[in-house]
Amino acid sequence: MIHYEKFQLDNGLRVIFHQDKTTPLAVVNTLYDVGARDESEDKTGFAHLFEHLMFGGSVHIPDFDAPLQNAGGESNAFTSNDITNYYDQLPAKNLDTALWLESDRMLSLAFTEKSLEVQRNVVIEEFKQRYLNQPYGDVWLELRPLAYKEHPYRWATIGKNIQHIEEATMEDVKSFFKTHYHPGNAILCIAGNFELQEIQEKVNHWFGSIPSQPKKVRNLPKEPIQTEFREKTLERNVPTDAFYYAFKMCPKLHPDYFITDLISDAIGRDKSARLYTSLKKNQKLVSEIGAYVMGSIDEGLLIISGKLNPGISFEQLDQALWQELHTLSNEEMSLKELNRLKIKVRTAKEFQEQGALNRAMNLCFHELMGDIEEINRENEHYEKITPTDMVRVSKVLFTKENCSLLKVKSNDAK
Amino acid sequence: MLNRLNAPTLHPIDKIEFIEPAVFEIAPKVKLFHMNEVANETCRFDLYFHAGSIQDSAIVSSLTSALLLSGTANKNAEQIQEEINALGGFFETGVSQENAVISIYALKENLVAIVKIVLDAIANCSFPEQEFHDVINERKQKYLVQQEKVSFLVQRAFQQRLFHDSPYGQITQIEDYNKVSREEVMEFHKKHYLSGLNKTALVGNFKMDEIDELIDLCGVLQSEAKTNHLPIIQNLRGSVHIEKKDALQTAIRVGRTLLQRNHPDYHDFIITNTILGDYFGSRLMSNIREDKGYTYGIGSMVSDFKGFSYFLIATEVAKEVKEATLTEIQFEIKRMQTERIEEEELNLVKNYLIGQMLKSADGPYSMMDLFLSAEMHDTSYDFYNEAIDKINHITSDRIQEIAQKYLNWEDFTIVTAG
Repeated sequence: MIHYEKFQLDNGLRVIFHQDKTTPLAVVNTLYDVGARDESEDKTGFAHLFEHLMFGGSVHIPDFDAPLQNAGGESNAFTSNDITNYYDQLPAKNLDTALWLESDRMLSLAFTEKSLEVQRNVVIEEFKQRYLNQPYGDVWLELRPLAYKEHPYRWATIGKNIQHIEEATMEDVKSFFKTHYHPGNAILCIAGNFELQEIQEKVNHWFGSIPSQPKKVRNLPKEPIQTEFREKTLERNVPTDAFYYAFKMCPKLHPDYFITDLISDAIGRDKSARLYTSLKKNQKLVSEIGAYVMGSIDEGLLIISGKLNPGISFEQLDQALWQELHTLSNEEMSLKELNRLKIKVRTAKEFQEQGALNRAMNLCFHELMGDIEEINRENEHYEKITPTDMVRVSKVLFTKENCSLLKVKSNDAK
Repeated sequence: MLNRLNAPTLHPIDKIEFIEPAVFEIAPKVKLFHMNEVANETCRFDLYFHAGSIQDSAIVSSLTSALLLSGTANKNAEQIQEEINALGGFFETGVSQENAVISIYALKENLVAIVKIVLDAIANCSFPEQEFHDVINERKQKYLVQQEKVSFLVQRAFQQRLFHDSPYGQITQIEDYNKVSREEVMEFHKKHYLSGLNKTALVGNFKMDEIDELIDLCGVLQSEAKTNHLPIIQNLRGSVHIEKKDALQTAIRVGRTLLQRNHPDYHDFIITNTILGDYFGSRLMSNIREDKGYTYGIGSMVSDFKGFSYFLIATEVAKEVKEATLTEIQFEIKRMQTERIEEEELNLVKNYLIGQMLKSADGPYSMMDLFLSAEMHDTSYDFYNEAIDKINHITSDRIQEIAQKYLNWEDFTIVTAG
């Protein structure tokens, strides 16, 4: 059970307080309801570039990190296709420092040309380091536009290409801030050894006077239902052939979401999973294989990926893989297998809830999804899943016309 | 009126509480350390073996670790995995030069049952032929992928030159996979696992009878006292470049071997290292990332073995700024040696380091890691109290002195790949 208190400021900021009497640290987590899906298609990579700029100084404070470090704390952030999330951890006594910094950058940024120029370069190097200068690094730049045709999930958070980042202007930056960075578009969670009243006072003090803005109505293009099998082959200078099967799956709030997640566990979570034991251990077709769901808010993807053993063809793999998937969609699994999957989920969740930082991030995310109490119901959802549910959802998922396949073929002279 | 221009008043951290684990004996030289007060149902059990790569070779130590659950006379690998997974257990292994560690994560109600399965698998491991070949095949495939990465190429060459001519510097080459035999692995297992258990660590809310059961279970692995480390090694100085065609970025490593943890300069070196490159606001980050935009990240660090430590700067930069980056690194080091650090920057680093210490002592899992790190080097929490004292009292003159003594460019091993 994760306990929490919720309140909202007049300017629209939603605040969650999570009391943890065991830690000497405070966590300040700020989620902004903006991700790569909110970008326009000719200016991709912007939400993530913007995350970097948020550390380049705000309206009253020239440098974000130094005062936080001086208070014994540190900070970081991440951007996904759905959200941008910032977090600070520091000694509880110095909570005010984090609130001062976070509230000032919610109020307004410094917008210096220097910061924009440098962070453009930093992000371009990040692009190279993660996506271009790694074997198989560009897979996500290719798989997304194969699986999505209309929805903005068709580009990666880093952006479609380096040019979009190079072309970002100060005007773009300012308008992005104005649209997405304001109290009504944010969720703040504070965790630590505090009392509700002092948190209410502090949050009001630092954030209360930030002007509210109208929340932008999100109107994303809906992804049409996929009706045909899609396939693309990349030839790359990589040592082994690799495969990425992407199956469209339900949005995060759909009741079948947890079932789909458990299906991905059944086929590819660990060394007892079906694809691992069958395709790797028994048939020796692959050197590695795994499966997972992307966890997207809108219609998502279930991914099966791996690498072929030398001398094995994509066709051999394809046949064996579909056979396993058909078994899953046609035969109910034993309760023993189902229970094995469930206890793994329960154990992993218990570990995720160990740290106050994880709990704070999760609370913000669940609040964003509309019902924060869901955070305490997740286990129930998994517990209720039956073998019949697994077959029903597998049948919908694992059809050829619901699948996009990306093959990376090695063009190494062997 | 709300004052946004001035930072809120800071409150110094007056005290960090280090909690001692309870200590039990498995064998005369093998202890079980126990930390409780976990806020939920999770637990972790670690088993440490003197089974690092310096005992034999990098390939044999790493294959042995990978094959610990490969099967016994009564069970195959799949059955063992199935049993552990059915109890919701997560099993992890790690091998360094000096140690091999096995960690089990689970809900506490399932731990004893999982440990039973794992220990039976390790004690009676038969290293089936087929499993041995499967792992070799898997490793070869991984190796081929890895060698496409500049970070992998640079790290290997750096390790060889840093721990020059010593067992610490050995790396696995692709042809080693064709030479290594199953018998070597079985021999290593016998010597370094069946009689190599060195200590265990338990985090979780357990009662005495459960702890007794774990102690009994561990009894199957007899332990002999032996050494797992060597004294300091002189790094091979000078530069080398590894060419990788078509690479978009160049990976850089700069470093040297250094003092043991108990050396009187050790703590002050750690502080000096932090200023130079070990936090987000460090001089290397401020200059090379935040001013020049040459890289996504650059950092320096200090890592410890039992008999010595080493210092290292690591980054990946745009190909065309490799030389410019090396010049800036040199410039920042020179600046540490010739200019006194301003009070403001020094105070910030002091506050940051104390904050980090508070964070590494936050909660039973972190506390156990902190304890194990001290114990590994035959010290106690005094080590951290001493560190806090050194942080509070270090002066700018002293930092300059340390930089002059240990950060000389001609003493470094420098490797680039790209």
